[in-house]
Amino acid sequence: MSQPIARAVQTGDLAPDGVLPDGSRLSALRGQPVILAFAPDEWDPTLAYQSEIFARLSREFGSGAAFVDTAAEDWHALDCRGALAAQFGVAGQRALFLLDEYGVVRWKTVVPPGQDLRPGQVLAALEALNSPPAAPSSGGVFGGGLSRRTFVTATLAAAALLLLPGCGDGGGSSDQDSPEAEAAASGTDNIPVTLNINGKTHRLQLDPRVALLDALRENLHLTGTKKGCDHGQCGACTVHLDGQSTLACLTLAVMSQGKEITTIEGLSTGEALHPMQAAFLKHDAFQCGYCTPGQIMAATALVQDKNVRAGSAVDIREAMSGNLCRCAAYPNIIAAIQEVQRA
Amino acid sequence: MHPFQYQRADSADQAVAAVAKTPGATFIAGGTSHVDLMKEDVHHPSLLVDVSALPLKQIAAFEGGVRIGAGVSNTAAAYHPDIQAKYAAVSEALLAGASVQIRNMASMAGNPLQRTRCPYFRDPAQACNKREPGSGCAAIGGYNHVHALFGASAACVATHPSDLAVALAALDARVQTLGPRGPRTIAFPELHRLPGNTPHLDTVLEHGELITAIDLPAFAGRSHYLKVRERASYAYALVSCAVALEMDGPTIRRARVALGGVAHKPWRVGPAEALLAGQLPTEQLFQAAAKAAFADAQPLEHNAYKIPMGRNLLVRALLETSGLQPLQGPAGTAFAASVGGVAGQLATPR
Repeated sequence: MSQPIARAVQTGDLAPDGVLPDGSRLSALRGQPVILAFAPDEWDPTLAYQSEIFARLSREFGSGAAFVDTAAEDWHALDCRGALAAQFGVAGQRALFLLDEYGVVRWKTVVPPGQDLRPGQVLAALEALNSPPAAPSSGGVFGGGLSRRTFVTATLAAAALLLLPGCGDGGGSSDQDSPEAEAAASGTDNIPVTLNINGKTHRLQLDPRVALLDALRENLHLTGTKKGCDHGQCGACTVHLDGQSTLACLTLAVMSQGKEITTIEGLSTGEALHPMQAAFLKHDAFQCGYCTPGQIMAATALVQDKNVRAGSAVDIREAMSGNLCRCAAYPNIIAAIQEVQRA
Repeated sequence: MHPFQYQRADSADQAVAAVAKTPGATFIAGGTSHVDLMKEDVHHPSLLVDVSALPLKQIAAFEGGVRIGAGVSNTAAAYHPDIQAKYAAVSEALLAGASVQIRNMASMAGNPLQRTRCPYFRDPAQACNKREPGSGCAAIGGYNHVHALFGASAACVATHPSDLAVALAALDARVQTLGPRGPRTIAFPELHRLPGNTPHLDTVLEHGELITAIDLPAFAGRSHYLKVRERASYAYALVSCAVALEMDGPTIRRARVALGGVAHKPWRVGPAEALLAGQLPTEQLFQAAAKAAFADAQPLEHNAYKIPMGRNLLVRALLETSGLQPLQGPAGTAFAASVGGVAGQLATPR
């Protein structure tokens, strides 16, 4: 893991302040629209292959030819490994942000390593420019002395920059085999997600749709947490968030940031089992074992819960009703929990 | 699941602005219902605005009652000493609902906003005017055993699934909201709407209107929640009721009764309430009130069983609230609220 990745800046956010390559501050550019393009390379339209990209974009979007000159001062080509990229939460990625005159992000796109910018993403940017401005800037977001044409062409110029080879897919990248890099390559609109799991920090690039359960199992290979019904009906995916039992299948990974996540892998200390794990073994509190990690996570939270009367089988049954066991090991599960409660 | 944008809100104003300006945007807090319906291909938000980190997590005394922040978890509200002691129906409804895990995740504002459990709503292959306006209603000619007895329309016979909402309706809670046009207060019984021709609208909330708090007004009586379900725990109510009684010596000064599992919204029964006011509590009186409560019921093909079940449940809830019959578990717990099952075991020594 390298430098900490900030929460990804989203459309509608006030952009963080930072220092541009020329030493000026981003906030000094308020009052005019700003385009930030994070990429691995300097944009040089005189290079043959980059000219080709421009020509292609011009054909695709029907723009005029000589737009690079008019737009050059309004967009900023930035190193995707620099401090500003980290501040925007896109370290190591090709990304494009459009800021309005108030410094608010009007549009962003991130191109994962190994993928090309899709024309649709550029069209979305153009749509964003045509959409009604946000309430505080009803005077016209991009009206400040800059023609729409100039701004559109600038957008295309910056977008073209995203067609350059990605930061993460060139030779020499050391973390290609990591789950993180794998995750980054798998999606189209991934965002940085930092998870604190069993005391360890994991930085991932995830689609916002990814449930915590799938991030644990598929991205981090912490397969102790089980997928049963995937709809919050069986409890097999129970983990702790800040000490409280939670269903990982109905929790979006992106919403689990900033919380202490504990999975079944985090209960034991080395080879020494957690007392609840030992009690489940002693009382044979499972048959096939598939629901067991969820049962144990629910049970360890239950023992800490002062609202559950210790030793009461009725209270245990009620508090464990969210964890189903198709093998019906319930009497043994209750016995295991009661033993830990008594200890 | 359809792709969506995700944004974490740092203030209620920011959250409201973000949803209001984005067609298809929704708030997300606990996500227990919303994420499930996104997986089921029923909900397709364009943008999720995460309100789970907003500072709306306080429970505090307010105008002689209690103000509960929208982001308070169901667990935290259920076990709060003031709520458990003075508004037992709220704690009982919360603790008799869902599972520990879901109560830990679910927020107090999200719980009353959960969508119906009508199986046809949750299956995109079926006709459902609530999910897809104009597509029809597969429940009306289908298997409608969990559907409505009151206030249904030719477009929709779904019921509202929240236990909490039934208790809040009986206690005349007030909902504080912040919308694109500013803050407002909604009386809880007015929050949910009847299906009519627009069953896709569950509540009167506007696009971008965020619940910020739920207020429980001052209350010096006894309240109680009772539900019947198909298994002992962790199941939605077939029928439920919340009762709030305020006494004047031995006489019932004011009675409020709301039924759950029988309509598109918590169903307050005015005729039964009027019949109880000013009377001495007796089983005969409660039988008469229960008969009045279900007098206008319009059963479908498979749900007529809810009428005798609901009447018996209401009589029992009134007997237990008035003290003519003991609660079968400690007030303010799931054991007081459950009929049969786990709670039934309390009859034997623990």
